[in-house]
Amino acid sequence: MNVKGILTDTTLCTGCERCVEACKEENDLGKDLPRRWKSQIDDLSSTRYTTIVRKDGDHFVRRFCRHCQEPACVSACIVGALQKTAEGPVIYDSDKCIGCRYCMMACPYGIPRYDWEKTTPFVKKCTMCYPRLQEGREPACVEACPEKATIFGTREELLSIAHQRIAENPGRYLQTVVGETEIGGTSILYISDIRLDFLAFKPDLGDDPLPQLTWAALSKVPPIVVGMGGLMAGIYWIVNRRMTIAEQEDSTSKREAGEES
Amino acid sequence: MIRRKVYLKTVLWVFVGILATVTGARFLRGLGATTGLTDATPWGLWIAFDVMSGVALAAGGFVVAGLVYIFGRKEYQPFARPAILTAFLGYLAVAIGLLYDLGIPLNIWHPVIYPQPHSVLFEVGMCVILYLTVLFLEFFPVILEHSWFNRPVFRAVHTLLKKFAIPLVIVGIVLSTLHQSSLGSLFLIAPYRVHPLWYSPMIWVLFFVSAIGLGLMTVTAESFFSSWYFGHKLRVDLLSGFGKAASAVLFFYVGLRLADLAVRGNLSMALDGTWQSNIFLLEICLALLPAVLLLFRKLRGSSPGLFICAFMTLLSMIGYRFNVSVVAFSRPEGMSYFPTLIEIVVTLGIISSATLLYIFAVEHFPVCSPEESAAEQEISEQPVYPYTPGAMHSLLPESMAGLRRYSLAALLGASVAFAFLSEDVRSGALLLRTPVSPARIVESLAQPDTSGPGTVNSVPYPYSISSESTSIYVIDGNQNGRLVLFDHDHHAKKVGGDSRCGLCHHQNLPFHQNTSCYRCHEDMYISTDIFNHSSHVARIGGNEACEECHSDREAVKSRATAKACSECHTESRTTDPIIVVSAEEKQGWAVGYMDAMHNLCIKCHEREVQRDPVNFHRSFGECAICHRDFDLSLLRELEPYKSISSRM
Repeated sequence: MNVKGILTDTTLCTGCERCVEACKEENDLGKDLPRRWKSQIDDLSSTRYTTIVRKDGDHFVRRFCRHCQEPACVSACIVGALQKTAEGPVIYDSDKCIGCRYCMMACPYGIPRYDWEKTTPFVKKCTMCYPRLQEGREPACVEACPEKATIFGTREELLSIAHQRIAENPGRYLQTVVGETEIGGTSILYISDIRLDFLAFKPDLGDDPLPQLTWAALSKVPPIVVGMGGLMAGIYWIVNRRMTIAEQEDSTSKREAGEES
Repeated sequence: MIRRKVYLKTVLWVFVGILATVTGARFLRGLGATTGLTDATPWGLWIAFDVMSGVALAAGGFVVAGLVYIFGRKEYQPFARPAILTAFLGYLAVAIGLLYDLGIPLNIWHPVIYPQPHSVLFEVGMCVILYLTVLFLEFFPVILEHSWFNRPVFRAVHTLLKKFAIPLVIVGIVLSTLHQSSLGSLFLIAPYRVHPLWYSPMIWVLFFVSAIGLGLMTVTAESFFSSWYFGHKLRVDLLSGFGKAASAVLFFYVGLRLADLAVRGNLSMALDGTWQSNIFLLEICLALLPAVLLLFRKLRGSSPGLFICAFMTLLSMIGYRFNVSVVAFSRPEGMSYFPTLIEIVVTLGIISSATLLYIFAVEHFPVCSPEESAAEQEISEQPVYPYTPGAMHSLLPESMAGLRRYSLAALLGASVAFAFLSEDVRSGALLLRTPVSPARIVESLAQPDTSGPGTVNSVPYPYSISSESTSIYVIDGNQNGRLVLFDHDHHAKKVGGDSRCGLCHHQNLPFHQNTSCYRCHEDMYISTDIFNHSSHVARIGGNEACEECHSDREAVKSRATAKACSECHTESRTTDPIIVVSAEEKQGWAVGYMDAMHNLCIKCHEREVQRDPVNFHRSFGECAICHRDFDLSLLRELEPYKSISSRM
C-alpha cells in the first residue's frame, strides 16, 4: 500500500502559521476577509484550507481535511465530484459539482467550506496538494513547517513513527495515534498531549466507516423495487379478478333473473 | 364566492411578483448575499420545506392512486385526479425549489451523466426525475380531455396512456416508496450531527410511514381548500375513511418512533427538559392527538374535526422534516441559522405559483368529477369583470379585468420586494466591518534587566528596556482581548529619537504631525478609502478642473488613470519612511489595520535579526515576540500603577 499521509505532532507545533501561509500561496487563496459566515476570521473557510486552533496552555493544533480512508463526503457526493485517490488525498472536481452541499452535511469533521460569496460557488478544502504529490513533492504545508511538527510520508511509515515516538516518550503523549482507526482510519494522523475531540462534531466517532451506514439502506433499493412492484401488481391482480368475477356473477344472476321473468 | 376567488388570486400574484424580484437577487448575487446559510448550516429552509416537506406533502398522489387503482376502492375515485395533480405540482415545486438552493443550478442534470450510486442523494435525484415524469404521464390524459385537444392524434395518445394507467400507478408507488424513504436515508451519514431523538438507523422507514399518514391528511386538507375556494361539495363521508386510515398509520408511526428510541435506550432523552426534548414532545403530540381524535367516528365524520386533525398532522410531519434537516442538526457553538426574508418569500412564492397552477388546472381541465365541474361552470359563467375601457373607476377592484388586476398585483409585489432588498443584495457587498479602536496608553514602571528581558509591572517584557518609566501602548484593534503591548518610547529611542518619527508615521493628515495609524487604517481587515473625491473637486475648481488629476484626456477617468495622491501632497508624506506604499495605496486606499501593523513591525524585526544575529535571536522576527497572548487581566494589573508613575 502506497497511501500517503501527514503526521502532526502537536507538541512540536509553535503556532507560527507558516503552514497556513504556504497553503494560501500554493492554492492561491488570497486574504481572509470577515464575512457573515466567518464568525472567526482564522477558522477554516473558502480562503483557508488549514488553520491553527489555539488551546489553553500554549497548545496548537493544526486543523485541515483528514482525507479519510473511507470518506463520508465521497460516498455522499451525488455526481462523484469528490474522489478518494489511490495515493490517499480526497480531491474535488469543480466541473462535476452541482452545489448540493451534501458533502458539507456528511463530513464528521466539518471540513468542506463553501464559496458563499460567489455566484458560481465551489466546495473548498485541502487536497493534500495533490498536484504537488503527482510531481513527487511533499505538500506545501509540510515543506513550510520550521519545527518539523507536521511531516509527510506513507501512512504506514507515519504510523510506525508515531508509535515509536509515543513509546520512546510515554509521558509526553497521550497513548493514541488520532486517526489510526477512527471511522475506518484517516490519512491525516495526530499525536498529542491533549485530547483532540474538538476536531470532530462528536467526541467518539467510533471505528466503523460512515458510508456503511447509508449503504445499509441503499442496498435495500433493489429488494424494495421488486418487492413493492410485485406486491402492488399482485394486489391489483387479485382485486381485479375478484371484481371481474363479481361482475360476471352479477350479470349472470341478472340474466338468470331475466330468463325467469 | 367570486370575490373570494379574486382576492386569493390577487394575493398569490403579489407573491409571484415578489418571487420574480428575489429570483433575480438570488441568481445575480449568489447564496451568501441572499440566504442565511453558512458553512455550519449548509442546508436551510429551502431544503427543509421546499424539498423535504414538498415531497412529503405530495405523498397524497401515490397513496390515493394506490387506493383507487390497485386496491380497487373506486368510491375514492373523486380524489384521484386532484391528488395526482397536487403531487405533480408538488414535485414541480421541489424541482424549482432545488434550482434556487443548488450552488450551480445549471448543473442540475449532472447526476444523469455522472451517476454515483453510493450516494443517497443520487437515489433521491433519480426518484425526483422519474416520478415527475410518471406523474406527468398520469395527469396528461386529464389535459388531453380538454376540447382543445379534440383531434385524432391526441385521442390516440390519450387511449395509449389510459392503457398504461395501471403500470404507471405501480411504477409511481415504487418510486414514491423509494423517494419518501430515501429522504430519511440522507441523514444516515450524519449520526454525530442529527440529535439522538431524531437519528435512527431506520429513519427511512419512519419517513415512509409518516409520508403515508401525511399523504392521507394532505388529500383531506386539499378537499377543504377545494370546497372553500371552488365551492365543491365536501365529501365528509369519504374523507372520514381517510381519517380512519390516517389514525392507524399515525399510531403505527408514533409507536415505531418511540419503540425505536426505547430499543436504543434514548427514550429518557425525550423528558430531559432540553429544548430538543420539548420540540420532540410537541412533534409527537401533534401526531398522537389526531391519531386519537380520528378514532372517534363522530369527530372524523365532522368537517371541523377532520380539519383540525389534518392541520395537526401536517404540522407534525413538516416539523419532523424540519427538525431532522435543520433544527436538530447540530452546528458549532455560536453558529445559528435563521432563514432570511428572501428565503421565506422564495418559499412563499413557489407555493403561490403552485397554487395558481392548481387553480388554473381545476378551472380548465376535468380534474374534478363531472357534477362538481358542472357546479363550477355555473358559477364561472356569471360575468366576473364588467370591463369598460376608459372608465374613470377602472382602478377600482371590481371594475378591473382579471389580467390587468393580476399583472398589477405582481408588479406591485415585484417593486415592493425591490424596495426592501437588503444592502447586501443591492451592492453585493458582504464584507463585515471591524472598526479599529485606537491603542490605549498606560504609563508603566519598567524594570531594566541587563542580563536579559526585563519586566513591565512585573510582567516579563519581550526585550531589554532601559527607562524606568515608560508609556506602554495597548494595541487591540478589534477589541478581542488578545493584546499586543508596544513600548513606544523605547522604539522611538531605538530608531533615533524625535527626528525620526517619519520612519513609521509615513503619511500624515494635512497640517498634522505623527498621525496615528488607526486614523487611516480604519478597518481591521478591509482596505479603507481615504480619498474624498467631492471635497477635492470643490477645492480645485469644480468640473473644469478634472484634468488637474485625470491628466490623460483619452483615458477613462478612474482611480487607476488619475495622479497619485503623493504627486500633489508632497508635504504630508515623510521623506524616509520604512513603509513601501503599494500602487493601490497611492490611489487613496489604506490597507487594513492588521496588514499595516504587520508590514510595519515584521519588516523591521526581521531586518534586525538579519543584521545582528548575536543580539537578536531568531524568535525576534516571529509572531510570538509581539503576540504573547496577554489578556485583559494584565490590564487590571497595570491599572494601579497609573497614579504612581507620572511621565517626566
